Amino acid sequence: MTTADIPLPDDAAGDDGAVESANIGDLVHKRLIKAHFTFAVVFLLTSMTAGFLVSLNFLNHYPFPDVPWLSSGRLRFLHTNEIAYGFLVNAFVGAMYYAVPRMTGRPVASLKLGWFIFFVWQIIVFSASVGQALGFAQGVEWGETPTGFRPGSFDLQYIPVDLLVAVGALLVAFQFLMPLAKAFNKRLYVTGWYLTSGLIWLILTYVMGNVLPEWGMPGASGAATAGLFIHDLVGLFVTPMGWGLMYFFVPIILRTPMWSHALSVIGFWALAFFYPLNGVHHFLLSSIPMSVQYGAVISTMAVEIVVTTVVVNFFATMWGQGHALRSNLPIRWFYTGMVFYFITCLQCAFHTSLTMQAIIHFTDWVPGHAHLVMLGVFAFWNFGIITWLWPRLTGNEWHSRRLNHWHYWLTLIGLVIMFVDLLAAGVIHGNMLRDLVPWMVIVEAMKPYWGVRTFAGGMILIGQILWAYNLWKTARTPKPYDYRVDLVAQEVN
Amino acid sequence: MDRIQSILSVAGVGCFALAFVLSAVYPWAITSGTVTEATIAEVAERITPEFVDLAERYPAEFDRAHPGVREALTPQSVLADLGGSGDREAGLAAWREAHAKSLRRGRDIYVAEGCWHCHSQYVRPVSNEDIRFGPVSTWLQDNNALQRPVMWGTRRVGPDLTYEGGLRSNDWHAAHFWEPRNVSPGSVMPRFRWFFEEGFRLSRTIDPSIAERTGLAPETEYPIAGVYLTQADAEAARQRHIDALPSALRAEGERLNVTPARTLNSDGLSLIAYLQWLGTWQPTATSQED
Repeated sequence: MTTADIPLPDDAAGDDGAVESANIGDLVHKRLIKAHFTFAVVFLLTSMTAGFLVSLNFLNHYPFPDVPWLSSGRLRFLHTNEIAYGFLVNAFVGAMYYAVPRMTGRPVASLKLGWFIFFVWQIIVFSASVGQALGFAQGVEWGETPTGFRPGSFDLQYIPVDLLVAVGALLVAFQFLMPLAKAFNKRLYVTGWYLTSGLIWLILTYVMGNVLPEWGMPGASGAATAGLFIHDLVGLFVTPMGWGLMYFFVPIILRTPMWSHALSVIGFWALAFFYPLNGVHHFLLSSIPMSVQYGAVISTMAVEIVVTTVVVNFFATMWGQGHALRSNLPIRWFYTGMVFYFITCLQCAFHTSLTMQAIIHFTDWVPGHAHLVMLGVFAFWNFGIITWLWPRLTGNEWHSRRLNHWHYWLTLIGLVIMFVDLLAAGVIHGNMLRDLVPWMVIVEAMKPYWGVRTFAGGMILIGQILWAYNLWKTARTPKPYDYRVDLVAQEVN
Repeated sequence: MDRIQSILSVAGVGCFALAFVLSAVYPWAITSGTVTEATIAEVAERITPEFVDLAERYPAEFDRAHPGVREALTPQSVLADLGGSGDREAGLAAWREAHAKSLRRGRDIYVAEGCWHCHSQYVRPVSNEDIRFGPVSTWLQDNNALQRPVMWGTRRVGPDLTYEGGLRSNDWHAAHFWEPRNVSPGSVMPRFRWFFEEGFRLSRTIDPSIAERTGLAPETEYPIAGVYLTQADAEAARQRHIDALPSALRAEGERLNVTPARTLNSDGLSLIAYLQWLGTWQPTATSQED
């Protein structure tokens, strides 16, 4: 298959978001996208502030030790949940309001439904955080959103957030599956595959993870299900959304088709098959039957093959246009994220081996890995998408392009410092555990690493604050935006 | 093309279903699915000595959380039958119910405060964990209603708690929740002041002549065990102490004072009861299959 045969996303051929010649731009509800992006950034800031505060606790300098609803144990729920459900979901949904109508040439189900989903979703995220602050968190990692029921019973004690999330996910799926399903009759671009599946998988995953471990399965089997939930949430929702949007935005910005359409479809199906099988690798060397654990380890290694096909495809697409990394900030966010994606998956393939698990499980290695995935990959991609779309949505030129570069470098350097620091801490912690070093000696040995982690987190947080300020000033300051500034000049053969 | 796409969409859901069967249903079918899950009442049946000790140390708060239980059977006769009332079984049933209630509440607090993000509850067969913490975890010992959702945890900033029950005293836990660094210097655990509330206790000063002989400081208030929720309760207790003194020692009663003190509240009591239970329940041998 040559590149000439490859269908492009509808608007990749030339028109651009800011200057609409075709009617297709009318399908995009810009105010709705702006609203979603705004709350994505708000939750990004609150989540990172919470993360930064929790890191201070590890240095015994926590500012609110005696305020129950601000205690560091409860703020940790907010840190992870607001990033997943507040930032990522808002950013993905906003980006889909741009990508899906333009790709399929059809409007989303309903604009009114869109605003309804928008308000309901912010209420969900807000009430989840408030519920966690009040002590109604659920004991499932990444699914700490309150069930609303007294544990072990069906007495309602708080807003049933889990139920609302499931309904919200259903509505989001309905909203976007209307145009996507109609486009099925045409040849559906791979982005359509990723988004369609991701939306359906999210509903299944969320219901499975929030219902079964709480009401169905005790002990080891509950842990297996919880592990499956954690992995499916990342692998079957966040990853398909992320890659789906990359397949949409990268060809548009680079103004070139994907290198290989066949490879992108292989990548999709290998993801669909192998990713969910990894679930149990979150609880290795546990009392879950070993046959299940071995299966999870092997399929985790298989995922690395998937990852390689996808990453190769994107880097081959970029071939000959390396200058875009320098001249085009969104492209730089995207490709930095892809490098991190490759690193993080390669890391997975190794550290899920039982040999490495013996050392690094239960240590800071794992948060290091998690930050690279959630921040380094998926947040980076959303930073790129929002950075690319913001002037097109507001119609205003950036308040300061330099601040955007500060955002990139502070986040990147902060993240790399944090990642290396936590990895080192994890290896040392794991070895000290194995060597039966007294507990408090281990804690003391970890404190310098936790200090570096706080410093790195501070860098990242400052980067986001600068970016949020820049987004705000850009939206408020009328200054006509000329999209040609951001076109990547090129000679497509 | 349409048909192929439909088949492929089914395949997409099929991938999810396959993984669900292989990594959730299958492990369930060969572990928890083969035996009945132990209920909270079952795991609470053996009352830990620490739970009884909590009732003795924090009587007022215990009575508030579990009214009538101490009257049904005195703490002293829960663990050892010291004779007395014929309703021992009825009394024990009340205690077991109180124990179960405390475990449930304690576990809920363990979840709500995020304890499980820094403490694990699973001992692996590697890295000398069996030497440091205790026997390697089995799925059978987690097959109970207090492990739903499972509290295996994700990170060990603090030590594993699988076998925490009975390792430390109730007082240690209370002091630790008040200020972890007081009992464990260098600890990074947050303090949990909201597990405590204001109360009153009795304390006494020393007769200066005795103080001179014994070297004790006469100005210091020496506390007497027991914390009371209201000043009136404490005053009443002071009066009972004085009335119990022989007339020759009545003057000593003048030295008894009611002073402000802090006591664990029912959340703190329940969490400690839960921690003291961890690892003390063993599944019955009959359900052992492999």
